[in-house]
Amino acid sequence: MTVAAQTTVLLAAQQNQLLAQIFAPHEHAPSRGLSAYRVNATANAQRALAAVYPILAQLLGAENFSFLARDFWHQHPPQRGDLAQWGDAMAAYVKGAAQLQELSYLADVARIEWALHVCASAPDAQQNLTSFALLTEQAPEHIGLQLAPGACVLHSVYPTASICLSHQGEGCLQDAVALLHAGTAQTALVWRQGFAPRLTLLPTCEVSFVSAVCQGATLATALDHADKDFDFSAWLSASVHSGLVQGAHLISSRCSSPK
Amino acid sequence: MPVNAQAIVGTTGIGWRHPHYAQVLEQQPPLGFLEVHSENFFAAGGAALTTLAQARSQYDISLHGVGLALGSAAGIDSWHLDRLAALVQRIEPVRVSDHACFARGAWQGAQVHASDLLPLAFNQASLDVLCVNVQQVQDRLQRTILVENLSAYIDMPGNDRTETEFLNTLTQRTGCQLLVDVNNIYVNALNTQLTLNATSGIAFSKDSSNLPLALDAELAVRTCKDWLNALRPGSAGEIHLAGHCVMGDIVIDDHGARVCDGVWRVYEHALQCLGEVPALIEWDTGIPPLQILLDEVVRANALAASVHCKLTPPAKLRTTL
Repeated sequence: MTVAAQTTVLLAAQQNQLLAQIFAPHEHAPSRGLSAYRVNATANAQRALAAVYPILAQLLGAENFSFLARDFWHQHPPQRGDLAQWGDAMAAYVKGAAQLQELSYLADVARIEWALHVCASAPDAQQNLTSFALLTEQAPEHIGLQLAPGACVLHSVYPTASICLSHQGEGCLQDAVALLHAGTAQTALVWRQGFAPRLTLLPTCEVSFVSAVCQGATLATALDHADKDFDFSAWLSASVHSGLVQGAHLISSRCSSPK
Repeated sequence: MPVNAQAIVGTTGIGWRHPHYAQVLEQQPPLGFLEVHSENFFAAGGAALTTLAQARSQYDISLHGVGLALGSAAGIDSWHLDRLAALVQRIEPVRVSDHACFARGAWQGAQVHASDLLPLAFNQASLDVLCVNVQQVQDRLQRTILVENLSAYIDMPGNDRTETEFLNTLTQRTGCQLLVDVNNIYVNALNTQLTLNATSGIAFSKDSSNLPLALDAELAVRTCKDWLNALRPGSAGEIHLAGHCVMGDIVIDDHGARVCDGVWRVYEHALQCLGEVPALIEWDTGIPPLQILLDEVVRANALAASVHCKLTPPAKLRTTL
């Protein structure tokens, strides 16, 4: 090893030592300055996580969420210099937290909130209404539906969609609690309408079809998976209006042929 | 002409934060430029990026990073640099800057980022790492960048030169410019006093200026002027102005108040020794109504116009020299 390389290794060790003093939990701060860095770090963590997980913060209360954010900072420190990228491990962290075992639906709440966060900054796309002509020109085996940026389906054994919606002012909290006590499972749909991330409870009859479309299935395959009560025409009309469906596209031009 | 009207409307910018996005776009106040935190616009899409593109059609944009961690011995995160390069290409900013700090490293066997601006030791090893990293960023972006001096709450062990010697060599070796944060210099000067006072056993109390009695604003201003005088001429490309918070035993650079009188005096001196360098009003904590920032901009511009009118000989005289 060259002298320069050795020097860099020593410098890295010195810098890692300060990082350890900032990230290590429950250790006495040896100086006022170091304490300032620690306070700033946890304040940054709380601010960043509260921006991504506002419903989780409401469900836990300010004091508990503050504790959770500090602990998450120590357990899952950021790896990037962009804090908006940090926090994807929250669902797994909440699921594994011993103190939150009785609130087992919280992990699924976190999954929905992370999906909303990712959706907000997904690549932009514009609706292509003329592309819907493919639906009459091509066989469904050769057509795919283009969904809105960040669109995804999240299944839960809890009424997580109702819980989240009630905290967004779009539903009744008492109803969500009743569904929780009744052991109701729900599937949530997340997508972006313009720049606004949206969340809705996916009706049972739409779950199989929308899940298949989200996974990139052809229209024919998605319809094969669809519930017997699923009404494609009604769903398409509503989904174009809500911005969920952006357009139609050929899955493979080589295989395409007129009906 | 008493003051340079163009300078009053043309040089000083603001740190453009979310609460002021809509108002600035609608009212288009006279600002030299808007500065944003680069990382807030790293996403591939979404409202923020579109808003920035809209602002770009009205103002020069300065991209100021807080996450490159230029002094990290662990190196530059290629993911971060890729996104910065894409943003630079898209926005075509008037300046690109980040800090003379580190944040990346290893903890418990994993790569981590402290999401903070951690201080460097002012020695050869730190300088070599900083220069390599700055050069890597400049090569990738195909442009020079500006590197900002820190407010630091601890001294890393191993200093063998002054901060200004360290920064002067950085600019000489890489061709980068400095973003001189005069509030940071002032905060460091005050914290140095507090550290010395603490070791001397001087008690703290507060006077009407909100400075502990043990703090000497005059001494802090003199310290800052000496710091500025030691910079290599022509090396500064931007000045930052901000407020700070005196917390009794420590001064925190929280960008949460108006620029204090001491920092205005340091700014005036900076204008005299750094030349016509654009300034920025930064406010990140408890962001006030936009008008407060615009008031600070007017003051900064007036001060710049006043200093540069005094320094610049009248046109008639210039032609005879």
